[in-house]
Amino acid sequence: MSIIRTENLCKDFGELKVLKNVSLTVEPGEVIVIIGPSGAGKSTFLRSLNTLETITSGKIFIDDQLFCHAENGKIVDSMEPAKHKAMLLEMGMVFQRFNLFPHKTVKENVMIAPINVKGVSKADAEKKAIELLSRVGLADKADAYPNKLSGGQQQRVAIARALAMEPKIMLFDEPTSALDPELVGEVLNVMKDLAAQGMTMLCVTHEMGFAREVADKVVFMADGMILEEGSPEEVFGSPKTEKAKQFLNSVL
Amino acid sequence: MMDKIITWMPQLLLGARTTIIITIIAVAVGLVLSFFLALGKMSKNPLLNKPCSAYIFFFRGTPLLIQIYFIYFGLPQFNPALTIKSAFVAALIAYTLNSAAYLAENIRAGIQSIDKGQYEAAKALGMTYRQTMQLIILPQTVRRLIPPVGNEFIMVLKDVSLVAIIGLSDLTKVTRAISSSQATALVYIPAMVIYLIITAFFSFIFNRMEKKYSVYE
Repeated sequence: MSIIRTENLCKDFGELKVLKNVSLTVEPGEVIVIIGPSGAGKSTFLRSLNTLETITSGKIFIDDQLFCHAENGKIVDSMEPAKHKAMLLEMGMVFQRFNLFPHKTVKENVMIAPINVKGVSKADAEKKAIELLSRVGLADKADAYPNKLSGGQQQRVAIARALAMEPKIMLFDEPTSALDPELVGEVLNVMKDLAAQGMTMLCVTHEMGFAREVADKVVFMADGMILEEGSPEEVFGSPKTEKAKQFLNSVL
Repeated sequence: MMDKIITWMPQLLLGARTTIIITIIAVAVGLVLSFFLALGKMSKNPLLNKPCSAYIFFFRGTPLLIQIYFIYFGLPQFNPALTIKSAFVAALIAYTLNSAAYLAENIRAGIQSIDKGQYEAAKALGMTYRQTMQLIILPQTVRRLIPPVGNEFIMVLKDVSLVAIIGLSDLTKVTRAISSSQATALVYIPAMVIYLIITAFFSFIFNRMEKKYSVYE
């Protein structure tokens, strides 16, 4: 059983075709890293999965059930709303620019969704928040506001915030791209820990070291299409397409 | 000179009271109205956004003076049921409706200045639109609204001098009455000082609020 499966996902922004028939399957426990040049549609693909972007055509399956089916820019089939929402909550997302809520403390950032969306009691949410913040090494910052934290710390809070909803899969949209180089490591370490604990992850990143070390599967995208898909050894070691060779030469 | 000013003081302060009451009520009630107007104008539903846009356009596009005249003298001629007997109440209505229109534009700008990423993060966490507005967007807007609301407050404070035309005695009207009856321009000085004291006091309060809400910025 796959956690997420997409079939021929397409996304147009007006005339511009950003995604062209992207089909990908994510198995439970798998860590998939999506690489590729900017403008390849990597982020758009990730954002389509949790409906931050509305797909133009194609199908998304979650837990092997049809989550969303669009044709010609219109949703033609989807789950009943309650179930749709529950499925959406199975996906946690971490953004490039963290998007923490600046008017809430670190702890409140982690607690707000469980309390308001899942109806968890304040005490339970707080306990869980402290536990998650310890896990990302920031329990001592629980009562600080995000503006007092470094970028790396903010991103770790954002990861804890997403984990608080107990997702089955974590989507990472270039989580280290907005960070100063010396702060990248601490975020990647948290992600490695998550992967080691068996979290299913779909990461868009430019960190090739992370991809090599952690990924079960590397996906290379360019021009809105998946051009290569395989183990890190296959994709990094013997890329088949010219685009992938060029790209890997420029980044490695 | 001082003794003259002291004898005028009770009248001037009575006028100042009217000025302050109308200003506070107009801005406070206007602020509540303006939230709905701003959300209405931003709505995708034309049944909501068209009337709200029209309202804002009308009250910002016509002189306050005419609005006051119209509400007090004009409405009863169209429909006697709309007669407002008290000039004070008519003034309150006019100033409230007018400042709601101006404040609505400030609120809309405040809401739209919040980063798109905040909506996306809230959505990715499963929040509904209502929860996103209530828990994430509006609380952040409040901080950004304090300066423009303070500004609007001071504008209304001075615009209240227009109420003389429907026979109310605000600070400006009282000042002019004293000036003409006693043939002296001296009274303008304590009047301006009172205006400045009121402005300084409320500016201080708005600054305090801004500081309080700025802990996270």
